[in-house]
Amino acid sequence: MSDLMKRSLAELVGTFILVFFGPGAAAITLMIAKGAAKPNEFNIGIGALGGLGDWLGIGLAFAFAITASIYALGRISGCHINPAVTIALWATKRFPTSEVLPYILAQLIGAALGSFAFAAVAGIDAVTVGGLGATAPFPGISYAQATLAEFIGTFLLMFVIMGIAVDSKAPQQFAGLIIGLTVAGIIITIGNISGSSLNPARTFGPYLGDSLIGGINLWNFFPIYVVGPIAGAVFAAFLYDYLTK
Amino acid sequence: MKCYICKEQGMDTDAVAICIVCGMGVCMDHLVREEIELWEGGYPFPAKKLKKTIPRILCTICHDAMEG
Repeated sequence: MSDLMKRSLAELVGTFILVFFGPGAAAITLMIAKGAAKPNEFNIGIGALGGLGDWLGIGLAFAFAITASIYALGRISGCHINPAVTIALWATKRFPTSEVLPYILAQLIGAALGSFAFAAVAGIDAVTVGGLGATAPFPGISYAQATLAEFIGTFLLMFVIMGIAVDSKAPQQFAGLIIGLTVAGIIITIGNISGSSLNPARTFGPYLGDSLIGGINLWNFFPIYVVGPIAGAVFAAFLYDYLTK
Repeated sequence: MKCYICKEQGMDTDAVAICIVCGMGVCMDHLVREEIELWEGGYPFPAKKLKKTIPRILCTICHDAMEG
């Protein structure tokens, strides 16, 4: 197996872990909250049990999955597990053009497998009730608002990656932990606005699973989770370079 | 500088190297020179093995200790 194949496989595994545990936690929250009284129309079920604490739980599930993946796979592939991160590193000439497509393909496949695996272990309610943790704008949130929320959230994520991992002056041993917790913090705030994907692959997996296994079709929202995260990550990478040169 | 290990054995041999771990001067009979692979980089980039190795000299005592 070639070196690139091995690294792509590592990306696949990392994105599988992310999508199984992260969106899986969101789906489980919806399954637990099924039938619970929703306090207001802004609430789709996540938050019905513990308010913002529901989002804290989901955010921490993402944080632990990301932290584990970075420490396990970081030295093999770089553990981007996010096309927006791969594209931002490529845009700032830190990642070779020839490896962008293999990485993104691996991330999408890993995300899809993560969603299918979660449906397999959690049952059909994970699809019909939990939606496999798919992201979509929440009630009252427009397409543009959700895109902007994804832009800002991914901007912060990529800005932290640049500061603590890409910058050689940073204490890199903490990168996995800090980046995981950053994602958790972002999810707590914008989770109930756009779903807080921050990652086209993280949305792709549940969307594909939902549309193939009998869940709701949300593909019309997919551009939000492509444009917002990629634009936010690229902007963060260029801004970080501008501020540090 | 003389070889410390030879000196302990009552011999008087010139040292040709210094152990990088304990700093002992050692002669050719009491050193181990190995080529060590060097890796650089890591998250968010793949770690890469450098094309060339770097030499490392240890005294036989430190070498045995590190080999376990």
